[in-house]
Amino acid sequence: MNFMAHTAARRIFGTAMAAAVAVPLAFAGMAAAQDYPSADETLDWTIAFGPGGGNDIMARSIVEILNKYDLYPGDIKVENRAGGSGAVGWGYLASQAGNPYGISTTSGSFVTTPLQADTGWAPEDFTPVALLATDDLVLVVNGSSEIQNIEEFIAYAKENPINIGGTGTVNVDFIVPTLFAQAAGFEFDYVSFNDMSEQTTALLSNALDAMVGNPGEILGLIESGDLRPLVFSGQNIPDALAGVPTMGDIGYDIGVSMPRGLILAPDAPAEAQEWWIETMKKVVDTPEWKEYIASNTLTPTVIYGEDFRTFLTKTKNGFEEVLKSVGAVQ
Amino acid sequence: MDIFSDLFMGFSVAVTPMNLVYLFAGAMVGMVVGVIPGFGPSAGLAILLPVTLGMDPIGAVMMLAAIYYGAMYGGTITSILLNTPGESATVASTFDGFPLAKNGRAGPALVMQAAASFVGGTVGVILITILAPLFGQVSRSFGPPEYFLLAVMGMLTLIVMIGENWKLGVISALIGFALGTVGVDLETGQSRYTFGSAELIGGIYFIPVAIGLFGLGELFYAFYNGLHRTGTGGIVQYDKEERFWPTAQDWISTRWTMVRGSILGFVVGVIPGAGATIASLMAYSLERSISKAPEKFGKGEMQGLVAPETANNAASSGAMIPLLTLGIPGSASTAVLLAAFLLWGMRPGPLFMEQNPELAWGLIASMYLGNMVLLAINIFAIPLFVQIIKVPYRILGPVVVVICALGTFSVHSSFVETWIMFAAGFVGFFMRLYGFSPAALVLALVLGPLAEEALRQTLTISRGSFMIFVERAPSLWIIGVTVFLVVLLPLMGRFGRGSGDAEKAGG
Amino acid sequence: MRIGYLVVLLAGAVFYSYVAFADLNFMTRTGRLGPGFFPRMIGGMAIVALIWAILDEMRSATPQDEEETRWSDVLVLMVLAVGYAVLLRLFGGFVATVIFLLVALALLNRGRHITNVAVSFLVPTGVYLLFDQLLNAGMPPGLFEIL
Repeated sequence: MNFMAHTAARRIFGTAMAAAVAVPLAFAGMAAAQDYPSADETLDWTIAFGPGGGNDIMARSIVEILNKYDLYPGDIKVENRAGGSGAVGWGYLASQAGNPYGISTTSGSFVTTPLQADTGWAPEDFTPVALLATDDLVLVVNGSSEIQNIEEFIAYAKENPINIGGTGTVNVDFIVPTLFAQAAGFEFDYVSFNDMSEQTTALLSNALDAMVGNPGEILGLIESGDLRPLVFSGQNIPDALAGVPTMGDIGYDIGVSMPRGLILAPDAPAEAQEWWIETMKKVVDTPEWKEYIASNTLTPTVIYGEDFRTFLTKTKNGFEEVLKSVGAVQ
Repeated sequence: MDIFSDLFMGFSVAVTPMNLVYLFAGAMVGMVVGVIPGFGPSAGLAILLPVTLGMDPIGAVMMLAAIYYGAMYGGTITSILLNTPGESATVASTFDGFPLAKNGRAGPALVMQAAASFVGGTVGVILITILAPLFGQVSRSFGPPEYFLLAVMGMLTLIVMIGENWKLGVISALIGFALGTVGVDLETGQSRYTFGSAELIGGIYFIPVAIGLFGLGELFYAFYNGLHRTGTGGIVQYDKEERFWPTAQDWISTRWTMVRGSILGFVVGVIPGAGATIASLMAYSLERSISKAPEKFGKGEMQGLVAPETANNAASSGAMIPLLTLGIPGSASTAVLLAAFLLWGMRPGPLFMEQNPELAWGLIASMYLGNMVLLAINIFAIPLFVQIIKVPYRILGPVVVVICALGTFSVHSSFVETWIMFAAGFVGFFMRLYGFSPAALVLALVLGPLAEEALRQTLTISRGSFMIFVERAPSLWIIGVTVFLVVLLPLMGRFGRGSGDAEKAGG
Repeated sequence: MRIGYLVVLLAGAVFYSYVAFADLNFMTRTGRLGPGFFPRMIGGMAIVALIWAILDEMRSATPQDEEETRWSDVLVLMVLAVGYAVLLRLFGGFVATVIFLLVALALLNRGRHITNVAVSFLVPTGVYLLFDQLLNAGMPPGLFEIL
């Protein structure tokens, strides 16, 4: 419906930060040589999850930067199209093949949801812009545990039955410890939880031996000594976890992580893809972006264009292999 | 203890003219959000979170917290007036709230729910103020074995909900359990009953089912009974001479209900993941099972409204405990508050209150003020809300269909959920018509997945042994409390009320 | 009539149990309770309870007084509700709501044309202002946009 197009009032409430900056009109200069993007076209930005989640925060942070530095000449309409673990929102974008003004951010479900359900699209169908960061996991034990470091943990796990908790099964939380255990040569029982809170209290109550999780959500408990970090699955240790080894440091690099990136609709024009790649190169250089990465303890991992598509395909195949081997997906 | 100096500092931080404006605005928005069926506190918070990003953290957190408990106040209004729960925590408030309105006591019911909300919310804040560290220990002692036992304890309350015809009650509960198994199996990741639909991966969401079963189902049933033909009258025989204020009897009969509801609600709220919905259902069942006249429940008993209302507001205060003491969100709403803390660059965790005393105590102080503001807003607004039920049912009926449908859609922007709501409406009508128990269905839908997941997690952790339930101290505590409630309380109750009156229920 | 409802539920329970037994494992390969454990229990119990209730119903077959008039209006409202659900998908929140309210009020609140038309436009406008403008929640979008 036409009147669903945003109005001033809507923007003030919906994307307060976007509205904080007056609509930029005079700054089309940077893309002057091209037709894309046209200042008359509204950018239709899909967030495939509800407000407040990781995907939402990332999308709104990028939009805030685009507005603050006047990187996009037209209006940006941000819409949460939640449902079906991302199937609805990304399905909406998938249905707009060829449209250069449809855009969305990705997260873990971008890879896992198509493995679980008949979504009608696959991650590699979309026009890739850039991988901007990855979500990596930290393995922690209770602060009162006798296990002080990862070597002791592996040695203990080889001798005793242990369990590791994580969020969900069709998820990086399951895949990372599974691959790590294979590499390090121990076995464990995986205990799947609905969310981080339940698994954290399970560990604090000593029901679990260990768990994996995003460091950002448990930094407070790590800082207070209630949880002890043992090993990190990313390539670079975030500042907040200084002193903790990565899985690569101890010789068990598994190379799996959740992609946080930017995509356009399938078969978007090459000039749109090119424009967004150039623009994102500017975005990742801003102090605001660096602050976003730091406060969410993401690992900055930037790759552009077709390399991102290759990364998605590789990640998907890796997930599929592990999940099929345990029967989680057919 | 320097609780008072901390609290005083909190008030000095919270009480600035601008912050009070934010508090008032948050409370108003929360009320509106709560009144709309489907919109609960978490949806309201998430939608309004971006607005607060540019604000100073203390004002922002006061406003967000006010939205949160404002929605808890507002959620009951449609439960009472239209039998349509505003959000999941107010489902139990329909059981006696709507019959009260039908009996022409909508005014007193609304006043009592505001009072009950105020008592529950305020007792909750007092408990936070003086016992936060202690309850922090409670919330960190819950693992899967304890969650399973808690779910079992909750299921015992099913017996109370099951209604007059126990076979139909059991069938109702089994339908609820069956619906609860839809979605991805948490442990193995296998899809169950999704038939390839991505919409169903996450399971059947509780809100559309509750709105359909109660709101739409009741509407159909009212039309079946010809309520819309009753001349100029509304849904209920609202009598102009009817008192607006509750009677002395209302206050006296519910004074202990408020105490029980507050404490039960707070404790359940402290447990991450259990939340206000389970707290309110358990409080209702508890009140009914220890009542001297359980047969009055479901027919407009004030205690049956007050119990869930105090409990769900106390629980929403209790849910602040894991957030403030551990940095763990105990509910969907506190998860949004946690996201807000993170956005302001704070690090929630055990050191949060030490590192950010002004924010933490300012928040706590604002909760005292917010509850008072909300009580005042409610008392002022109730006469307006009561007008709704004077609208003739033949006009109000179709409008209720619209509100149920659009409210459900707005939560996740999902057509599938909207259709589930309509389907639940048809099911709810026939359940009402043929003497089934919609209440047992929703309770089973909430508790079934919790019990299944917790049991399977427990058995994975214990490698198949059931001994784990008696090896952990918190588990033993829950078993003890359950035995007390199931065996001793009914015995005492029966003793007190004399012999003869068999448990009868309406559901 | 109740017996008919029970039979429908029984059919549902049989289908539910069939899926539980055919597609879902009772145990996982590591010997823990599988995804089919509870569905099989629930399905089995539901079938037993329903058969029992149906037998009860047949024994006490007291014919219930079903007044045709009681059904007429509720059936109208039910058909309208289904139609509304379809309209929402096709034309979106605003248009569907206007059409639904116009038709429903014309049938249920006969003769009061001015009230009916006023309600039919004011309610969706109010909901639109509240949801879309104030709360940024969004009304259902339609497949066909007429406005």
